[in-house]
Amino acid sequence: MRTKRGVILAAVVATGLVLVVSACGGGGGGTTTTGPSTSGKTFAQLKVVWGTTDYMDPGLSYRLESWQLFQDVYMGLVVKAHVSCQTGDCTKILPGLAESLPTSNSAGTDYKFTLRKGLKYSNGEPIKASDFAFSIARDFKLNSPGIGFYSNIVGIDGCEAAPTSCTPSSITGITSDDKAGTIEIKLKTPESDFLYVLSIPFSSLVPPSTPLTDTENPPPPASGPYYISSYKPSRSFVLKRNPNWKKNELGTSVPNGNPDEIVGLMTDDVDRSAQLVQSGQYMYDENLLPTTRLAALKQKYASQIRFYPTPSTYYFFMNESKAPFNSLQARQAVNYAVDRSALVKLRGGLGLTTQNFLPPSYPQYKKINPYPYNLAKAKQLVQQSGTKGDHVNLYTIGDVPFDKSAGEYLQGVLQSLGYNVQIHELSGDNYFTIIGNQATKADIGFTDWFEDYPYPTDWFRILLDGDTITQTHNNNYGLVDFKDVNKEIARLAALPPSEALSAKTNAAWAAVDNTLQTKYAATVPYLNGLLTSFFSSKMDMSCDVFTDSQDDPAQMCMK
Amino acid sequence: MGAPPPATSISFGGGHRRPVATGNQEFTLDTAAKLAAQEGGGAQVQGRSPWALAGRRLRRNYVALASLGVFLLVVVSCLLAPVYASHVAHRGANDANLTGYIHENGKTIPVISNGGSRVLPDGTVIVIPAGQPIGPQWGAAGGQYVLGADQLGRDLAVRLLYGGENSLRVGLLSAAISTIVSVLLALLAGYFGGVVDWILSRVFDLIWAFPVVLLGIALGTALSINGFHHFGIHLAAGDLWIPTAVIAFVFIPYIARPLRGQVLALREKEFVEAAVAQGAGPLRIMLTELLPNIASTVLVLFSLIVANAILTEVGLSFLGAGVQPPNASWGTLIADGQSWLATDPWFSMLPGIFIAISVLSLNIFGDGLRDALDPRAKVRIER
Repeated sequence: MRTKRGVILAAVVATGLVLVVSACGGGGGGTTTTGPSTSGKTFAQLKVVWGTTDYMDPGLSYRLESWQLFQDVYMGLVVKAHVSCQTGDCTKILPGLAESLPTSNSAGTDYKFTLRKGLKYSNGEPIKASDFAFSIARDFKLNSPGIGFYSNIVGIDGCEAAPTSCTPSSITGITSDDKAGTIEIKLKTPESDFLYVLSIPFSSLVPPSTPLTDTENPPPPASGPYYISSYKPSRSFVLKRNPNWKKNELGTSVPNGNPDEIVGLMTDDVDRSAQLVQSGQYMYDENLLPTTRLAALKQKYASQIRFYPTPSTYYFFMNESKAPFNSLQARQAVNYAVDRSALVKLRGGLGLTTQNFLPPSYPQYKKINPYPYNLAKAKQLVQQSGTKGDHVNLYTIGDVPFDKSAGEYLQGVLQSLGYNVQIHELSGDNYFTIIGNQATKADIGFTDWFEDYPYPTDWFRILLDGDTITQTHNNNYGLVDFKDVNKEIARLAALPPSEALSAKTNAAWAAVDNTLQTKYAATVPYLNGLLTSFFSSKMDMSCDVFTDSQDDPAQMCMK
Repeated sequence: MGAPPPATSISFGGGHRRPVATGNQEFTLDTAAKLAAQEGGGAQVQGRSPWALAGRRLRRNYVALASLGVFLLVVVSCLLAPVYASHVAHRGANDANLTGYIHENGKTIPVISNGGSRVLPDGTVIVIPAGQPIGPQWGAAGGQYVLGADQLGRDLAVRLLYGGENSLRVGLLSAAISTIVSVLLALLAGYFGGVVDWILSRVFDLIWAFPVVLLGIALGTALSINGFHHFGIHLAAGDLWIPTAVIAFVFIPYIARPLRGQVLALREKEFVEAAVAQGAGPLRIMLTELLPNIASTVLVLFSLIVANAILTEVGLSFLGAGVQPPNASWGTLIADGQSWLATDPWFSMLPGIFIAISVLSLNIFGDGLRDALDPRAKVRIER
């Protein structure tokens, strides 16, 4: 997933992965974590400034700005823990609408859930077991960007072939019993990240009365503590308490929330956004603080600003299917020539330099540093590769200041290496569609990735696996396709459930990261992004809960 | 000065004189002038061509001349950009310098402020904001960064001059091309009339139907992706000829339509009929009879269209459909400076000031030129 930009997920996720042992494996009804506390902190209204959303429909939206709201509105059978990554395990999967984590067979291909009793949507309809199959079928009907996540469910092939004719009954791998409240999901092969997939908004339950079209006014009824009572695209939204939400309905998994109402003004103008909070008109700024004013803001409002690392990687892709970057030496040269600290400067200091593809927050992360900045060596490598003077088509986003600057910085680097560079600055609205089309023949360019869920398959399988390359809507922009790496990704995905998060498996994922960067110089990762949280002076910062990529508005509180 | 201008009926062409039959004596306009001079006491009246008269009127218009001077000063300054870059700033227009330093009064100052982030073991994130470009140094850094740096550490003064060179080059060239093509098409349409006129007029109408900026954006954006590779012409995506050609194209009807009207009117005049009767061919008539008579209008339209072409180039580049990065134009400089308006407004203001000066001076000079060439004319660009 990427922030501020719609992206179509084309890569088909995992066809043969294994279970995450700790996330499933029976029982777990009593699972606890550092639970959110909201008692005694309720208040009438939270006014926030928010980045624009793409959709306000869980079946369609693929932006952080929407998902950040959905965490308190749309619930899946399981949910990601609503806890701060600084104080708890924010990557943990907890029971959501299901009363416990699922039981599964030893092969990890058959999951059984039981719904909690007496649940209702915000419109009063009961939450039924069959709603899950309806919601997945609806995703296909909507041609949702998330349908690739469900390709491993038995009987899904018909829906993939003809999404608009997909019906709940046609997905034979999902069976449900409304009376007993049970749901059984059968997979074609084990899939390690399946529970994570069930926690993302595409998997959240909506009632069967929900139209099979983009439903934004009003958005689909909610199953969480809040519902969206008003939404004006690109302008505003209002979240109110779900009248059918019982206190602690989902136990400690989902907080009841502090504000009775969340009123949001949407804008992508970061200067305006910060100004509205500075002036006290709004209480929280969801947008990144303007890097041009960061120093001044930090100096004046130090106690109201927090910085959080995110599971994101900003990197340059290189097209390995054609000259000049089908040459290993050419790719190594670019890695040596990019000064990562300079790129952090371009982002106003809001980044941590990296040469890994995986972010540091992952247990599979093992720091590598194979390419210390060395322009002379880079020039030598280009000379040896015989690619000096080659024409290079460089792509970047022209309407996002940092992306534009990063592209222009890379252009300077490539020119200093002796390449003849043509830069193409495109609008962020269609950038990824264009570079994801192989007909574009992009040689090199800017890209970034924010996790959908915290497991390495969300990175290597989607972004750097040769087996998931598609002609259009491709996320593997550099057409990275190394047989040994593809094989290793598949092998790790097919490990027995008991080994999915073992030290050995983690080390193997780390080795994949290392091989891709050190042996193949597959990409040029340069920074892990930081996000900012800016609160007005009325807010109590101690309530701020920043899960892996987002603040939880429901847990914010006033002094 | 002195005698009033001779009572010529038309003709700016210079030298095309039509005899007037008066009985058995050939009577010309010069003869009339001589007779008038004799009647006035024998003083010789010096004949002046319409061009000379226009020149005299223009020389008396000090505001127009001052405007021309200002515009030429801007042009010369921009043309000297390479000299400034190599001998004063010691840095090219596109040379990024994110990690460099300058030395000033014994101090070492980063061109782009240093900083960064780190995560402490307890998870606390320490951020020292970075990336603030150095402001104007005027002369303190030995000619470097006189107007400061941009976000990539490039010298703003150098980019401003190179940007001006590109904007003016595109503006002047596109106006020139547009004018030449328009004159040719107007002559063809006006002289031949009929089907030729109908076809060309519909083409003008078609282009005219699109707003200039929208048509420019559409063409500029399309061509900025893969360039132009047709009819044996190969222009790379970032080639300056692309915005030049796009702007020249979109302005064609704005020049061609009024000229066509003039040619249509002139074609019915007696001197054209006389030329036809003398056996002159279409090409000769167009070039020696019609063209000289629309020359003043062409000149005025050209001067006004240059200003419009510069503004269009700036607009297209601002929107990403004109001059392509890393090359600068005043439009791209304004766009680059947008995100710095709150802290470093001069990023955008400086190119804006240069644009305003250039366009204003051109417009004032254009008005002066129009007044000088034909004080009664009401030539204007309608958009």
